[in-house]
Amino acid sequence: MRLGALLRTWLAFSSICLPSASARSVTGDRLLVLVPAVEAAIHDYSIFLDSLKRRGFEVSIRDAANSSIVLHIDGDRLYDHVALLAPAAKRFGAALSIHDFIHFVNTGGNMIVAASAALSDFHRRLAAQFGVEFDKHGTAVIDHSHYLSSKVSSNHTIVAASRLSHIPAVLSPPLLADEHPTIYFEGIAHNYDSQIPLLAPLLTGSRSTYSGSSVAVDRPSLKSTQAQLSGRSLGLVSIFQSRSNARVVFSGSSALFSDALVGAEHSTNGLFINDISQWAFQEKSVLREVDHRHRLASAAPSSLQPDHYRVSNVINYEIDLSVYYENKWHPYIADDVQFEATMLDPYLRLTLNRTQVPKSATVATYHGDIKLPDRYGTFTFSVNYKRAGFSSINVHDTVAIWPLRHDEYPRFLSAAYPYYAGSFVMVAGFLALCAAWLWNTGPTSKSSKPKSS
Amino acid sequence: MRDKVLGLSAHDQTSLLRLAILGLISVVAIGSRLYSVIRFESIIHEFDPWFNYRTTRYLVDNGFDKFWNWFDETAWYPLGRVVGGTLYPGIMVTSATIYNGLRLLNIPVDIRNVCVFLAPVFSALTAIATYQLGKEVKDATAGLLAAAFIGIAPGYISRSVAGSYDNEGIAIFLLVFTFFLWLRSVRLGSAMYGALTAVFYFYMVSAWGGYVFIINLIPLHVFALLAMGRYSNRLYVAYSTFYVLGTLASMQIPFVGFQPTFTSEHMAALGTFGLVQLVAFTYYVRTVASQQHFQLLVRFALLILFVLGVAVLVLLTMRGVIAPWTGRFYSLWDTGYAKIHIPIIASVSEHQPTAWPNFFFDLNLLIWLFPAGIYFSFRELTDNHVFLILYSIFAAYFSGVMVRLILTLTPIVCVMAGIAMANVFETYLDFRKAAPAELEAHDAPPSATGSMKRYYTYFPKIAVMVNFMYFLFMFQWHCSWITSSAYSSPSVVLASRGPDGSHHIIDDFREAYYWLRKNTEPSAKVLSWWDYGYQLAGMADRTTLVDNNTWNNTHIATVGKIMASDEDTAYELARRHDVDYVLVIFGGMLGYSGDDINKFLWMIRIAQGVYPDDVNEQSFFNREGQYAIGDDASAAMKNSLMHKLCYYRFGDVMGPKGFDRVRKQRLPTSVELDNFEEAYTTENWMVRIYKVKELDSLGRTHHAVAKLKGPRAAAHIPF
Repeated sequence: MRLGALLRTWLAFSSICLPSASARSVTGDRLLVLVPAVEAAIHDYSIFLDSLKRRGFEVSIRDAANSSIVLHIDGDRLYDHVALLAPAAKRFGAALSIHDFIHFVNTGGNMIVAASAALSDFHRRLAAQFGVEFDKHGTAVIDHSHYLSSKVSSNHTIVAASRLSHIPAVLSPPLLADEHPTIYFEGIAHNYDSQIPLLAPLLTGSRSTYSGSSVAVDRPSLKSTQAQLSGRSLGLVSIFQSRSNARVVFSGSSALFSDALVGAEHSTNGLFINDISQWAFQEKSVLREVDHRHRLASAAPSSLQPDHYRVSNVINYEIDLSVYYENKWHPYIADDVQFEATMLDPYLRLTLNRTQVPKSATVATYHGDIKLPDRYGTFTFSVNYKRAGFSSINVHDTVAIWPLRHDEYPRFLSAAYPYYAGSFVMVAGFLALCAAWLWNTGPTSKSSKPKSS
Repeated sequence: MRDKVLGLSAHDQTSLLRLAILGLISVVAIGSRLYSVIRFESIIHEFDPWFNYRTTRYLVDNGFDKFWNWFDETAWYPLGRVVGGTLYPGIMVTSATIYNGLRLLNIPVDIRNVCVFLAPVFSALTAIATYQLGKEVKDATAGLLAAAFIGIAPGYISRSVAGSYDNEGIAIFLLVFTFFLWLRSVRLGSAMYGALTAVFYFYMVSAWGGYVFIINLIPLHVFALLAMGRYSNRLYVAYSTFYVLGTLASMQIPFVGFQPTFTSEHMAALGTFGLVQLVAFTYYVRTVASQQHFQLLVRFALLILFVLGVAVLVLLTMRGVIAPWTGRFYSLWDTGYAKIHIPIIASVSEHQPTAWPNFFFDLNLLIWLFPAGIYFSFRELTDNHVFLILYSIFAAYFSGVMVRLILTLTPIVCVMAGIAMANVFETYLDFRKAAPAELEAHDAPPSATGSMKRYYTYFPKIAVMVNFMYFLFMFQWHCSWITSSAYSSPSVVLASRGPDGSHHIIDDFREAYYWLRKNTEPSAKVLSWWDYGYQLAGMADRTTLVDNNTWNNTHIATVGKIMASDEDTAYELARRHDVDYVLVIFGGMLGYSGDDINKFLWMIRIAQGVYPDDVNEQSFFNREGQYAIGDDASAAMKNSLMHKLCYYRFGDVMGPKGFDRVRKQRLPTSVELDNFEEAYTTENWMVRIYKVKELDSLGRTHHAVAKLKGPRAAAHIPF
């Protein structure tokens, strides 16, 4: 096993070195595909797997039950991406637990989790950790209005889904432009937890879609008293991006990726699986902050970042953003990058402008001339940029804003002129009195006597 | 009278003796304050001294200009503290001056040692100042006795042992010396002494908030003298010089600023200043005009002016032009005020009303001699004695209201006791005009019975003196014992004795602070109750949310709320305040009663004052109305963060039938804690530090994560 891992590492290394086979994913190209049976899978998912190989992934296709499968060795990830195409598998590898997969995601690994009507509890428990709750055993997604017409069956379990969420970061322009995409889906529905901001539904059921018994439509025992999943709340494919920007796609259907449905008539499955796998494996919409800096607006651009400011200083804040797609980094163009200065409450929140002259070909610089609040304390300067499908950016610095120095306060206030005048009149009066006292010598010798006693 | 000894005249002999005695008193004063250094080490004590020490270091390292403009962003996170403008810089500047002076002389000394030994050195100066004061109001005997008393009086030692690097350490010297200068300037009518009074008043203002006592007592003295018809030009010169110079000087301290012109505490001085001018004017007018007319006129004018003045003062106060009295001041008049309105003041033990035994504990014999001294002052009512009596009355009252004001009472008690004792000595040690000689002159009895009578007249004197000498010895004994047993613990390091008499040093505080210093990010924010803020800043060098400078009640209440809330609310609040670590003091293992669970009720009260909807004191008592911590505790208590942080995994150490040794109660059977993870617990479990967990990467709650991982899986993280 160790030898195999070494070999794989060497292979990965050599593939990076070879210019023709450059990896397109930002985070790496070691992909593990777990299937029920390798031979059958290579046949069933040939289009999908070939496209992955073409995109430069080093794909390892393994039996789900293969006991030699491990995700980490000595705490290091062995793979960058995992695709679970074995929905019925009750366990993976020798003893891979849910923790191992969660740990895989927490350490930056990406996953595609495909389900089907025959879904194991392992998958259900794993998905539940991400806020995805697959429907009960024995249910399947059914739509009597939109279904794959070439495979007419009484239960209409191969539905033609078309309700895509408008997420340009995930879906490519042809799919977004297509008003009636036809994505064939055969599998199980899930309920997505809308309370979790990290999770978003990508493909949901249309009005006529519902989740029902896959075996016999009218079997009463399966008719639950609970509200069934249907319509918009019925999740077919959902996307998840963790706080560490690892990406996970949950698809209720493993057949979605199969040659059978990709090759079906009018099918847009090919486009769709291409988009979601590119997104999941960090081949596009990867956003990063290259650099950020702030300085006094009056200081030279190259000057060092000060460790504190004074109240009401005008500062210049700059942040460089890049986005990754089509194999390289590009400047990230947007008009909604916001800067925030908070001290328990937000004191400032304003939109940054894009600098027209780019610093380099791969970054877009956003800047703002910001007048700091007239309040001292430790402020957090942050750019917290979270957009659906894009990697989240959360840049924050804690910067102290000091009060003015004792000699920086304004002098000679106009409001204080009466007081200045008063003090000078006082001085003059005192001098005049002294003079009168000193030089008025004649009769004072008598009157000053009792004063001294 | 006698022959010369060592070639010195009698006068020079007395001078030499006085000098020697004063020198010895100084040595004793310094020596008796060194117990803590000998027992423990040269270390800064308690809480506030840590702040003074830290700022002194900053001053020494960065210079005065930076110190003056220092904004400390690591305190009161995220609000910060304008340190330069919110402290009394006197003690720091004093230490830095001494330090730099010694460096100039090529004596390399650690700034810490300067700070540790500053208070004892100043106590020697206090003894000398008290001698001067005693000499000023009576004679050198009274002065020496007063100096001897103040040198060892526990009431003063409690605030000035080595390591107790606090404002009071130098302020008492300044208080006594300012009063001495004031009395002398009144006696001599000297503008120079008036100016000197102002200079030392300025020093006092720069050193301690207790300067308010001076700026109220001196005007009161003047007013009393005026009311008694004792106006004199000497008084006029002394007060006018002092007030004008002193006030202008005091306004140079940023923390005081314009307060002397608009706060109620300073209005009495201003009013008295005006009154003195008026009185002086009338006296002048009287000398140039016919008396009957003007006396009548003056009396009415004075009355009207006084009434008008008071009316204007009241009006301005009501309109808010003159700042109303601060809460701390109200609590001086009504001892119940603080408990109801400002729990943050009442929660400090040194702000509690004084119990009777405290007076005896801190002053012993002196408290009995005190009234005698007042009596002797009344017998010979000079201007100076009026001052002493006023000082006695007010200091006695205030010391009854607040424990820590025994400190201001101690100097006057010592002076009064010195006067009383000097009178005793004068009367009973006077063997010169032997009584028998007078008797012989009157009755001319036989000489055989003469010696007998001589014996009879000597006997009471000797008996009284033996008695008093015994009292004085006992006083000395008492003072040494109190100093060594009660006032010489640094409270940062604790000592305990085992059953076999062995000596144990409990150093958990420094262990925990040092752990924080070495193992956490320099920018880490540590949340703890405000008592430990200064120590955290000084020893751990980490950012704190609240500290002993209790200027922002809301922020403290927020910390109290975090401690009193359930885990989830506390977690949310802690994350909002960027808290990285939470530190609690727990005495259940050791039986240390000053721990956070015992302070918890104050946290709840303070939090309730600001967040009455979220925190309710009653809900922390169980159904029997007890403050329980075990399984019979109330739900709010069991769910509170404080309870969880203190008792988390404590049962593992104490066993299933474990007891909390402070509260003598059974431990709770299970304590669940998910949002915080234990980072460090000290040897004796006195300090427990928890890390606030990061948000879960997958957006789950920490309860869900813990549930998935199974019980106790997360608890055993090796560090």
